[in-house]
Amino acid sequence: MEALKIGDLIVKQPIVQGGMGIAISLSGLASAVANAGGIGMISAAGIGMGQPDYMKNFKGANIRALQQQIRRAKSLTNGAIGVNVMMALTDHEALIRTTIEEDADLVVMGAGLPLKIPAMLAEAGLTDFRTKLVVKVSSGKAAKLIFQSWASKYQRIPDAVVVEGPLAGGHLGFKKSELSQEPVPLHQLVRDTVSALRPFEEQFGREIPVIAGGGIYTGHDMYHIMQAGAKAVKLGTRFVTTHECDADLAFKQSYLTCADASGIDIIDSPVGLPGRVVKSAFVEQIQRGETKPFKCAWHCLSTCNFKEAPFCIAQVLYNASQGKMDEGFAFAGTNAWRATQIESVADVMAQLVAEYELEATQAPALV
Amino acid sequence: MSDVASRVKAIIVDKLGVDENEVTPQASFTNDLGADSLDTVELIMEFEKEFNIAIPDDQAEKIGTVGDAINYITENAK
Repeated sequence: MEALKIGDLIVKQPIVQGGMGIAISLSGLASAVANAGGIGMISAAGIGMGQPDYMKNFKGANIRALQQQIRRAKSLTNGAIGVNVMMALTDHEALIRTTIEEDADLVVMGAGLPLKIPAMLAEAGLTDFRTKLVVKVSSGKAAKLIFQSWASKYQRIPDAVVVEGPLAGGHLGFKKSELSQEPVPLHQLVRDTVSALRPFEEQFGREIPVIAGGGIYTGHDMYHIMQAGAKAVKLGTRFVTTHECDADLAFKQSYLTCADASGIDIIDSPVGLPGRVVKSAFVEQIQRGETKPFKCAWHCLSTCNFKEAPFCIAQVLYNASQGKMDEGFAFAGTNAWRATQIESVADVMAQLVAEYELEATQAPALV
Repeated sequence: MSDVASRVKAIIVDKLGVDENEVTPQASFTNDLGADSLDTVELIMEFEKEFNIAIPDDQAEKIGTVGDAINYITENAK
């Protein structure tokens, strides 16, 4: 298994732990994955919700909490630490700036097109930094658009691309209709993305690694998606059922008690995207159209129609992270039901590597 | 038909894979020509490249139909 290289950032195991919000992947999980040789990701979504002044000063609370989490993660590991920032967050610019100012190894920008980020960084005087800029897309077409736009307007390109397929957990970059039909398989999305990036790799004279995520659960899956051209994989769900995952035990147990694939469903999130969740009594209430009245102290997601939303997505996700499963739900990938026990991150990483190596020796070599 | 209009239409036919007859001035990119959010961003970028102009985001948001695009470009292209 080859190390992942994003420019001068070299990561021994080509395994990226997906950023999971709200408060599912913070410094605890991220540092454990980084210590095991992968990339640990802190999710910036709703990161300040545990701060006492959050309802009055959400921007300040978010930045403070993000600073604390990056600093804590870096104190626990010398490995690679990144931050996941959704472009749909109204304060995404401040969160990206903070990630760079705190010298994280990478920032992954998804849930929206980061077309104006280079201009924003230049305006903020952030021109010389180590943090890798990684974009997350759901298609080769989106990758091409972002690269075209950055190349023509700013004469630079992102350092890596995460392509996330329709089997992922949480908010998905696909329409509900696309998910119910035969969705485009991840290996096809990887091939599309690799070929969309090739002209830019030639133009700028450097490699742009593609990292694949969405439905990858084992080292076997990992081997095959890397044969399709991915240089690394991103797994979220697999890391939820670990001791180090920052969510409450009740959240992790919702994965363990999920017996089969029928325990996972898709809901309409007020964000305007479909979201994959573990089914529960609370999810059924939502699906029946019950509303959970809330007060929106601030408009955290630009795509959220908070005046008409039947519930506050940030609040229910935060509740779930704190173990209040009757007032929230757990986002989960398609494979969440496969977990049977809570393991250590080191054991998960060792299993992934062993399964990968086994498949590499058994699978017929691609010519 | 003006030169701008024919070049705008050619880009739309190419990028959206629609029939030339559908590309009327009244046609909405999203409602009539099946463009998704990525397509609309791509179209704006193609117009910028073809006509060597920069379309600010607040203006781009107002370009919803083929006619809007032709008018904006006619007024702003040098």
